[in-house]
Amino acid sequence: MYSIEVEGLLKKYGDFVALNSISFKVGEGEIFGMLGPNGAGKTTTIKVLTGLIPPTAGKASVAGFDVVKQTQEVKARIGWISSDVILDDDLNAWENLEIQGKLQGIKDWRERSEGVLKYFDLLQFAKRPVGKYSTGMRKKLEIASALIHSPSVIFVDEPTIGLDVNTRSMLWDLIKSIRKEMGVTVFLTTHYMEEADSLCDRIAVITQGKIAAIGSPAELKSKVGGDVIEMETVDGFTPEQLKGVKGVLDVKVTDGKVRVKVESADKTVVELMRVLNFSSIKSLKIEKPTLDTVFMELTGKKLDDSEVDYRKFYMTIRRARSG
Amino acid sequence: MFQEFWVLYKRELKKTFRSIGVIIIMVIQPVMWIAFFGSSLTNVPSQFLTTFFHTNNYIAFLLPGELSVSMLFIGLFSSMSMIQDKRFGYLKKVLITRAPKWSIFLAKVGGATTRGLIQVPVMLLAGLAFGVSLPLSPLGWVEWIVGLILLGVGFSSLYLIVTMRSADWQLPNVTANLINLPLMFSSTALFPLSFYPTWMRYLSDVNPITYSAELGRGVILSGDPTIYYLGYLFIFAALMLGLGFVVARKYLTAE
Repeated sequence: MYSIEVEGLLKKYGDFVALNSISFKVGEGEIFGMLGPNGAGKTTTIKVLTGLIPPTAGKASVAGFDVVKQTQEVKARIGWISSDVILDDDLNAWENLEIQGKLQGIKDWRERSEGVLKYFDLLQFAKRPVGKYSTGMRKKLEIASALIHSPSVIFVDEPTIGLDVNTRSMLWDLIKSIRKEMGVTVFLTTHYMEEADSLCDRIAVITQGKIAAIGSPAELKSKVGGDVIEMETVDGFTPEQLKGVKGVLDVKVTDGKVRVKVESADKTVVELMRVLNFSSIKSLKIEKPTLDTVFMELTGKKLDDSEVDYRKFYMTIRRARSG
Repeated sequence: MFQEFWVLYKRELKKTFRSIGVIIIMVIQPVMWIAFFGSSLTNVPSQFLTTFFHTNNYIAFLLPGELSVSMLFIGLFSSMSMIQDKRFGYLKKVLITRAPKWSIFLAKVGGATTRGLIQVPVMLLAGLAFGVSLPLSPLGWVEWIVGLILLGVGFSSLYLIVTMRSADWQLPNVTANLINLPLMFSSTALFPLSFYPTWMRYLSDVNPITYSAELGRGVILSGDPTIYYLGYLFIFAALMLGLGFVVARKYLTAE
């Protein structure tokens, strides 16, 4: 059984197509990442899957229930962790968890709160107003409050945006251990390559409301087609000479540098050494594909500057003005 | 179902009562009304006052009116706090739980109404300080307080209905500017009906603030409140609340 099943999901805002008939499946206990730039449709996907907005067309089910027809059933089984921490700063951790627990209709919120507070090392600070917590603690409490009703799927929206390196790696470990110990399925969105790479079992690359590719980080990287060996050489040789070497896929010469695309650099580099005069090589560099290269290969754009989300942009401006 | 409403209502109260500065200002504000506006007719001949206001102390006349007006103004709090919850994403968080939309709406109504009620004891004490005598009629007081609650429920529902779909900070304020003054001046909160031209009397006769103000005057001035005024306020509150439930169900959005 799948935790999330999405088929032909379409979401339009007027003429703007936010999700263009996307389909994917997420297995139970999987950490599934949706990777894409701002405005690609990641947040819209979460909104549809959590029952906040109805899709224009298509089908989606979460934890075995239809997100449109059985919204309440879905909501009882999911947790949502927003990118900014949403807690009542003037209330303490107990009070925040009480609200969340009771909103989820559970009776034993006290025992469950104690459980999650212990798990996240927050019990000794539980009576302190949340406004006095550090960013890391707030983030932890936010996750704790999403887990209080033991959901089977959690939606994590841009978990580490704007966080320092330590807090980020702390959160990555936390998400991994939650999945391992509680068996929850994690659906997360991110626009950080390294986050998707280190955290996710599988990734859907999304851009402009369409899924460009789905697969494990390794699978996606292999789609780009192997490693690159880059060499600076002194002596002349013909590219054809190198192309004959076993495992070499392509050879390009630019600015005196030879870029050799190979299936696996670890094996082929030795072969290349044999063919070329060893002393003629001035420098050698091996490049393994990253999700960055994958993204570029798939979309023809760099992740950083591929899209500007105008709606979000104007909303921020409006907020700044009226806030 | 009730649990969700109750915990959200408790949240409203906690957020209000933990801010001591807000409470102090809320308490001072109506007292200033009594002090400044109430004193503006001090040197008017007492015969004029007894003829038109049925008391020689204008403050005794104003007190029930001003408390009713307070319950109108608290409507602003209900919709501002809803918009604040939208702005900070809190509403989204609540809407992703099983809590029904009506419980979110009702908690805001309850929070604002309770907030308005804090002013009642303060105003009564202020009234005493300004020489208003408060008669001892328990049933009358209960009726009046219930009337004020109904008025608060009605107006905070009305405000929420108007701003349900919006996340714009400005909307509650412009709504307040638009409806508060006409509603206040077209009721008998500040002046007796006999002052008004005929067309304004018609308005006053349908204005719920009039019924709440007169209910209070029944207690303070004659000791004999008219119970059917309470019925009118009940209908007003029930209508607004019912409409609010429907609108919340259909139109309450996370952003």
